[in-house]
Amino acid sequence: MSDERVDGNGRGDIGVVADEYVLGLLDAADMLRIEADLENDPDLKAAIAASRERFLPLDETAEAAIVGDQLWSRIETGLSAQHAGSTGRHKATANDNRRGGWRATALGATAAAVTLAVALTFSLMRTVDPLVVAVLVNEAGDIKAIVEDFGNETAAVRLLADFAVPEGKTIEVWTLPSPERGPVSLGLIDDARSARLDGPALPKPHDSQLYELTLEQTGGSLTGRPTGPILAKGFAKIAR
Amino acid sequence: MSMGSPPDDLTTALAACAKGDRTALRRIFDREAGRLVTVAERIVRRRDLAEEVVQESFIRIWTQAHQYQPDRGSARGWIYAIVRNRALNLLRDGSREYTVEDVEVLREREQVDHVMAAWHRLDRTSRLHDCLGALEETKRRGILMAYIGGYSHGEIAGRLRIPLGTTKSWIRRGLSALRECMA
Repeated sequence: MSDERVDGNGRGDIGVVADEYVLGLLDAADMLRIEADLENDPDLKAAIAASRERFLPLDETAEAAIVGDQLWSRIETGLSAQHAGSTGRHKATANDNRRGGWRATALGATAAAVTLAVALTFSLMRTVDPLVVAVLVNEAGDIKAIVEDFGNETAAVRLLADFAVPEGKTIEVWTLPSPERGPVSLGLIDDARSARLDGPALPKPHDSQLYELTLEQTGGSLTGRPTGPILAKGFAKIAR
Repeated sequence: MSMGSPPDDLTTALAACAKGDRTALRRIFDREAGRLVTVAERIVRRRDLAEEVVQESFIRIWTQAHQYQPDRGSARGWIYAIVRNRALNLLRDGSREYTVEDVEVLREREQVDHVMAAWHRLDRTSRLHDCLGALEETKRRGILMAYIGGYSHGEIAGRLRIPLGTTKSWIRRGLSALRECMA
């Protein structure tokens, strides 16, 4: 395999990309792209496998920690829970070594749904155009919501599905302007209804910026970071 | 350095896991869990978090064992990648139960000790040792910090006191040199 190969997705040197993926150096958006591409790109898959093998001796330097039976018991408990739950889910992701089937599914669905989103955007906010639009999907890849970020401290969330919000909980909207800054709350959606949010001042939203909805206690997360389960998430596209 | 069981055993165990044999998962656990906890701890910097990573990883190993294909790399590489990915996820965007600040504070403490210790423990007769050794000090450090400690470009730049752009391109060049050397 040639190291100089530039692939059809413009990712550049496939060897570098594979190494950076294995070392965990890619940003979230690139990581997702790689995971989505993996399935249909045997060269990329092979490059990542080769990279892992190259670096594995460093992991083998690790001195074995002493682990108690407790850890095994917790795993066994987890297995039973797994078994009791949906068994078909994992088989559905016919892909190996993914960082999270969730995200790749989400990415695929997002791409497919962008047209829909752009069409909807048009009707949502006629007066001002959003800078970016993100289609948020759940773990199964079903479209659940759309976020439009206007880049002027306001964003609009349109829910496209019913969310079961238990007593004492609320839905919180988050975005990740940059990995350095970490997730930032855009606001809460009370009553699980579509809403307009007045968020904090943030840098202009960019392509592939992450948006997500989590379930938090009423009043929002106390830590200023998402703590509850993710209801839906997706990546922004620049509105054109 | 002796690396425990031959990979073949792990390959067999993964195949058995795929058929629903829990004792096979237990075999993998007995052989690898201790080292996996250490690998995860080098990244997340806390024993309890590391155990949590390994716990989740074993469930993943169990449910995805059928997807492992021996022609795509060693069973050990596959298993370690699952643990590494979970640890990195916890650090980068997964820190659901622990705030980012929490983890960062913890990471400051031991600094690059783990990283350099791993480098010094690396089998001196290995190709990886030769090739990493042939790199300039800064490039080697950057690569080791990323792989062993899970440091991001930004963290590496900060630690090594070099601009972010320079860090990225140095690491990239180091990685290319390493690939060439090991080809």
